[in-house]
Amino acid sequence: MKKTPLLQKLLPFLSLIILFVALSIASPYFLTPNNLASVARQTAVFNTMALGMTIVIITGGIDLSVGSILGLSGLIGTMALERGVPIPVGIGIGILTGAVCGFLNGFAITRLKIAPFIVTLGALGIYRGTALIISNGLPVHKIPAGFSFLGEGNLLGIPFVVWLLVICAVSVHFLLEHTRSGRYAFAIGSNKIAAVYAGIPVDFHTTTVYAIGGMLTGLAGMIEASRLMTGQPTAGQGYELQAIAAVVIGGGSLNGGEGSVIGTLIGALIMGLLSNGADLLNVSNYWQQVVIGAVIILAVTLDELRKRRAR
Amino acid sequence: MLIQLQGIQKRFGGVTALRGADLSVNAGEVHLLLGENGAGKSTLMKIVSGIVQRDAGSMLWKGQEVSLTTPSQAAEIGIAMVNQEALLATHLTVAENIFLGREERGSFGMINRKKVMQQARELIARHNFPLEAEWRVDRLSPAGKQMVEICRAIQHGSSLLIFDEPTSSLSAAETNEVFRIVRDLKARGMGIIYITHRMDELRQIGDRVTVLRDGHTVHTGALADVSTHHLIAHMVGRNVEAIYEREHLEPGAPVLEVRNLCVKKTGLEKISLTLRAGEITGMAGLIGAGRTELCRAIFGIDPVDSGEVLLHGTPLNARTPREAVQAGVALITEDRQISGLALRMSIGDNVTMANVERISNFGVLKHAMQTELATELGGKMRLKAASPAQLAGTLSGGNQQKVVIAKWLFRQAHVFLFDEPTRGIDIGAKAEVFELMGELARAGAAILMVSSELQELIQVADRIVVMRQGHISGELPQGASQEQIMKLAILDSAA
Repeated sequence: MKKTPLLQKLLPFLSLIILFVALSIASPYFLTPNNLASVARQTAVFNTMALGMTIVIITGGIDLSVGSILGLSGLIGTMALERGVPIPVGIGIGILTGAVCGFLNGFAITRLKIAPFIVTLGALGIYRGTALIISNGLPVHKIPAGFSFLGEGNLLGIPFVVWLLVICAVSVHFLLEHTRSGRYAFAIGSNKIAAVYAGIPVDFHTTTVYAIGGMLTGLAGMIEASRLMTGQPTAGQGYELQAIAAVVIGGGSLNGGEGSVIGTLIGALIMGLLSNGADLLNVSNYWQQVVIGAVIILAVTLDELRKRRAR
Repeated sequence: MLIQLQGIQKRFGGVTALRGADLSVNAGEVHLLLGENGAGKSTLMKIVSGIVQRDAGSMLWKGQEVSLTTPSQAAEIGIAMVNQEALLATHLTVAENIFLGREERGSFGMINRKKVMQQARELIARHNFPLEAEWRVDRLSPAGKQMVEICRAIQHGSSLLIFDEPTSSLSAAETNEVFRIVRDLKARGMGIIYITHRMDELRQIGDRVTVLRDGHTVHTGALADVSTHHLIAHMVGRNVEAIYEREHLEPGAPVLEVRNLCVKKTGLEKISLTLRAGEITGMAGLIGAGRTELCRAIFGIDPVDSGEVLLHGTPLNARTPREAVQAGVALITEDRQISGLALRMSIGDNVTMANVERISNFGVLKHAMQTELATELGGKMRLKAASPAQLAGTLSGGNQQKVVIAKWLFRQAHVFLFDEPTRGIDIGAKAEVFELMGELARAGAAILMVSSELQELIQVADRIVVMRQGHISGELPQGASQEQIMKLAILDSAA
């Protein structure tokens, strides 16, 4: 089911190509295997989070606490590793932590009937505070060396995180476009009242969506921890902006009912390339933030203009 | 003569709201404006108060032709409308609300709070309102809010006041208080236009009356010269064309039984009603009589305080719409764009929304099956659409309604609650919707048809239940007249 006109679908993709070509011309270092692998690793964290955010935003919700969930998951996962659990189990614990945080968000939103914006704004503080309390503000360092494979390793010559990302993206795409839960997510975001009246268990599916979002954020937290080889209680600060921006640039609507995996991946890549390009061209880190902020506003403005024309 | 309107016409897009309305109001009289829903009363009052502009006709204010383009122009010459309570700023005080946007500014544009408070106190004292200027508006009763609106309307010496159903949400005592104020304003020489649906209060308050029907003035004169029976006859008219003929079948077994249902929140009192297989039960009543609220209670949207709902003899008592849907009950709401359809999703997605299970296996969707089934159903219903992939929001009103009905056919529901099924759809589509309802009944479904279109109820329904102020005021067999229905809708059955 095509939900958006062709041009709107292609606009982020065209922007990505233009950006790619422009950077190839502007910097001789851009189109090198090393640099591209580095971009892939850099964007993997945001991409994984943004996939979860896509489902949440499609239901008309938002999760502002993902940065804190990322920090808490990475911390608890690495603390488990520090205590000697096998690496896959440690990663699993990190992912589970994220899922629990997301579930609690969804539970509060549906049971207390409070706006997602408020619940997750509060959760942003709660999860971050929790991470700082249990770690005493200190990072976790004693991590088995093998853990670095998750974020830095290669499989068949391609960064392992890229494989992971592909699996996650295909799964989320399948979930959204080919399962009942995905259909319900679009229905809830498109018209929540109609969804309730059609007998859809809206509260259950809303909660599930936040839990899935949290789960993917937990995975992102473990990837981040693996890349840095520390469990930082302050990891992921401000990442919610990146994740939401990736979804919105990729055609997701904060009013709900619209969004796609392809769009989000393109959105996250655009932001990754902007950041990488700025580094290569020696643009100050401060300016990068300004540019990314401006791109978000530009993307939403274009989206609004399209909708107004359609009306 | 305060105001004189002649031959007023107004179209909104393709809909003609006024075809030639006349109205004249004198100073020192309460002029009643009557008519069915959609007769053009509100549009006419919007023209008088400058909210919309007339297409044709003349409007004389104190003998001079005027053209009002904004509500503030109307306020300047002395015309004010008493708005619905929702238009107050509920977190501000009574005084602040009365003078909102019209505060006298002191030096540096600062609002002189003391002066605003003083002026409000004087105004309240002059008319003896049971209000205090310092009170916050959100603490007031509906009647109190109504009085704040009245203060707002009269605060700068208006000479014509318009009341639009001021007592519809008030208790008897509060209604009397509003009447006292209206009489007081009349005694001060103001002209008052008073819209109401409550026939029992007409004679307590009115001096003259004008009746609108289908955008025309059909009667005007002194209230004392006309009987209530004649007023009703003027309101409903007679010559409405038949648009649908239906064979009436013997009803089958009871399917849905409502027993002594009470919902305090929405004012439903002891509703008992039985829907039978193969029968279309019509339901008439004025706006606010509780018809939509009854549907909501049966469907599990509003919590029920007492009483029960049985389906095939066993308790249903749905606490959520999901429970009702799973038991085979369908609600076709009056506002399909708000609560019926996901406008940004495709026709196919909407049709299957209430029964995604049917097109999925272990939670995995079968897109081809959806397309096939939705196409088939669309064809049967003569849905005018390019394909099931077309967005629901791009369809006409009638076709959107067909998609909503298709959704419930796809769910294989057997109790259908239709709330205003023909609202906003054209004549041709209406006939098709009625045919669909007839087919459903023939197939054994139990159908409740809530409608404000009396002619349609008479043509389609097998019997008509009438609601008034939260209770069922009577039931009429097939072949009842509009007058009989209107009487039950606006008078107690004893009258």
